[in-house]
Formats: sequence, C-alpha cells, structure tokens
Amino acid sequence: MRSPARPPPDVARAIAERDRSRGLLIALEGPEGSGKTTQRRLLRTWLESEGHEVVSSRWASSPVVKPLIRARKRLRSLSVEEYSLLHAVDFRHRIETTILPALWAGKTVIADRYLFTALARDAARGLDVDWLLHLYVPLLWPDLVVYFALDPRASSRRVAATRAPRFYEAGQDVTGLADPVVSYRQFISRVIAEYENLSLIFQFVKVNADQVVYRQHQQVRQLVQKAVRRPWTEFSPEAVSEWLIRHPDLAG
Amino acid sequence: MADPTPRPGRLIALDGSRGRDVVADAEALAARLRARGRDCGISRWDASGVFGDLLLADRDELDIGPRTLTLLYAADLMFRLKWEIRPALAEGKVVIAAPYLNTAVAVGVAVGLPDTWVREVLRFAEAPEIGVLARERKPHKGWRAHPARGYAEFCVALLDAAPPGLARRKGRRRAVAWLRAEAESAGAPPGRKTLESL
Repeated sequence: MRSPARPPPDVARAIAERDRSRGLLIALEGPEGSGKTTQRRLLRTWLESEGHEVVSSRWASSPVVKPLIRARKRLRSLSVEEYSLLHAVDFRHRIETTILPALWAGKTVIADRYLFTALARDAARGLDVDWLLHLYVPLLWPDLVVYFALDPRASSRRVAATRAPRFYEAGQDVTGLADPVVSYRQFISRVIAEYENLSLIFQFVKVNADQVVYRQHQQVRQLVQKAVRRPWTEFSPEAVSEWLIRHPDLAG
Repeated sequence: MADPTPRPGRLIALDGSRGRDVVADAEALAARLRARGRDCGISRWDASGVFGDLLLADRDELDIGPRTLTLLYAADLMFRLKWEIRPALAEGKVVIAAPYLNTAVAVGVAVGLPDTWVREVLRFAEAPEIGVLARERKPHKGWRAHPARGYAEFCVALLDAAPPGLARRKGRRRAVAWLRAEAESAGAPPGRKTLESL
C-alpha cells in the first residue's frame, strides 16, 4: 500500500536529496517471547561498533500516551477500539518526533515493534484491517522488516516460563478466559495467523526464533548488511512530506 | 405508575468551530429538552481526560501534529461512547454529544487534513439521529489558543504550525465553511424539524 499523494515540488526535491544520506529504518516484529528485544540490543551494539549512530524506538513509549495507556491497562478499562487508537497515537507521535528526525539526520532507527504489531493484535481482537490501516495512513515504510517467527506453543511456553501474561497481552479482554496462560495460548494463535498474512503483504524477512540467539543475530547482521533503502519518494512521500512541511527549517 | 413502554434513547450531535459556542448551545438545548420532560444529558469533549493530561506536559517538547490530535480525539470519542453515550441511550435518555463527529472533521480540514481520512478514523461512531450546528458567535474572529475551551482551541494551542493571526482566522473560516456545507448537504436547516419532535 504505497501513498498516492505527492508532495509539493520543493519538498519532493528535499526528500529526494535526503534519500541518499538518510538512515535506515529497521523494524523488528514477532510474537511475545520471540527474542526481539535481545536482538535489538545485539544489533544496536554491532551497528554502533561499525560506526553507525543508532536510535531505538520502542512500542508504546511516546510520552503523550504512555502514562495513559499504562493507567488504563491497569484498570482494564480499555475497549478494543480505544486500545487500538491509543497505540496509533503512540506510533504517530514517535514517527514524527523520534523516527523521522533520526532518519533525516542519517541515523539508523531500530523499531522494536512497528505498526504491524498493532495490525496483528487488533485484527486478532476482531477489528477491521481496513480501518486499522487507515489509522496508520500515511505509512512510513520500513526499509527492512525482520519477523522473528515462533509458533504459538513456543511463544506461550517462553512467556509463561517467567511470568503470567498480562491481561491485554493475554487477550483476556476478547477471549473472556479467566486463566491468562490459557487465554494467551488462544490469543497468540490468532495474532500469529495475522502476522503470517501481513508477512506476505509487507514482505517481512523471516528469522526462525527457535534458533540459538547467536545464530539469529548472525542472520540479522547479514540482512542489515544487504538491506536496501526503499526510496521515500516512491514508498513514503506523504508521510515524510507532511512531517517536513511542519519543519521547514529542515527542508532547506 | 411507570411508563411500560419507555421511549428509545436519541443521539443529537451538536457541532461547531468554537468550544464556547458548542457548550453554550448544548446547555441551552438540554435545558429546553428538560423543560419538556425529556431526560437529557450532555457528553462533552475530553471526558477521558486525555487532552487535559497533555496540558500538564511541557508543550514545547510534545511537538504534536494534526494527525496525532485527530487520533486522540477519536480515542476520547470512543471513551465517551463507551462510558457516557451508549449507556445513556440504552436507558432511553436523550444524549447531546457536543461536540461530535463533524467538529473533528472541520478542525481537521482547517489544519490541512483530508476530510476522508478523518471520517474514516471516526467511522466506529454511530451516526447521530439529529445533527445541529452551534450558532457561530463572532465568525469573523480567528481561533484563540485557549486549550481548555474546546477541541479547536486546543489544537491551535498545541500545533506549532498554526501561526497567530491570519492563519487562525483562515482556519476557522475554513472550518465554518465545511460545517455549513455539510449541514446543507444533510438538509437545511440542520435538524430543526426533528428537534421539535423530541
């Protein structure tokens, strides 16, 4: 789904020029327990050792809604749509304040979960994917999406090994099951099924998350080394130009 | 003796470009309906407190764009639907949602968003039975940055891309024009006949 709208000529020119020096956007996706955070840390350390400036962006970390999401989750008072909308706010705000500024400055951005997390989880909660996609329009396409594939049973086992899944993480708001582990197992199966659909549409690169950590990291390194930028002018013109129009000092 | 067949709840949307006008008209309408014996309530903007919470943060550091604000409006509206509007309608009350959908679209259009996108984001909300436009006081004046007064004023206060002066007048004019065009396309004068039937 590429953005159809075209930016004004001067903005388009600035975007095209910046495309040559901008940073790489890498999204890490996968179910809970698939080792994304470990791989993000390893990848960051490696990239920094190679001389890259790296910025990490984590899911639900925007100061605009982070306290609200945490408080409402604790109260278990979020409807399915509210849950989805508040995460869309978080994502949009991070795109505009963290991710795009860093990419523009030539830094590599590692997103520990990207919008696909929302699409998979919220679709698994029964929301219409078409509506969900609209929440994230205009899309800022990542250059590389690494999907750490894990089957539902392994994900459940890994999560339950250290703690009980949290209420929304376990999907108890939609399964209605009292046991978080049982609910998680059921819910994560739906989430993974949605991820599998998305992986085809958005060209995820799969890494088997059942492998040892080091082997996965080697694979991630190779993928990043070979990664090619998806030209903003072709894939994400509207997302970048909207942001740039609000920051005319950067457009030069 | 209790009425064995309670009247169904009814949803009235009251939209406008200025928070103060919307509030004043909603209160006047509610008073009229109550005087006629209807059990009536007002669902207001920021019932969830999500916008109020933002005011506690350092605004210079927030750097919020129009799409983020629209998504916040949608989240707040969902909260209002879940906790205020739908329960009241289920009890047979008249609910004045002030503001409702059209205010968000009009403000979105004024700050440069496609109305199709805003409508799509808000499509989870049920259509109101009756749509009413707030009387626009001082329509020649621009929006002022009074974040507690209403959604438009909040947006003006937070959007650093909204310069003072002309753009605020132009923005408000654009919002008012959109609201009027929308009301006309829905049949003029908006909702008046059906309001009398309540």
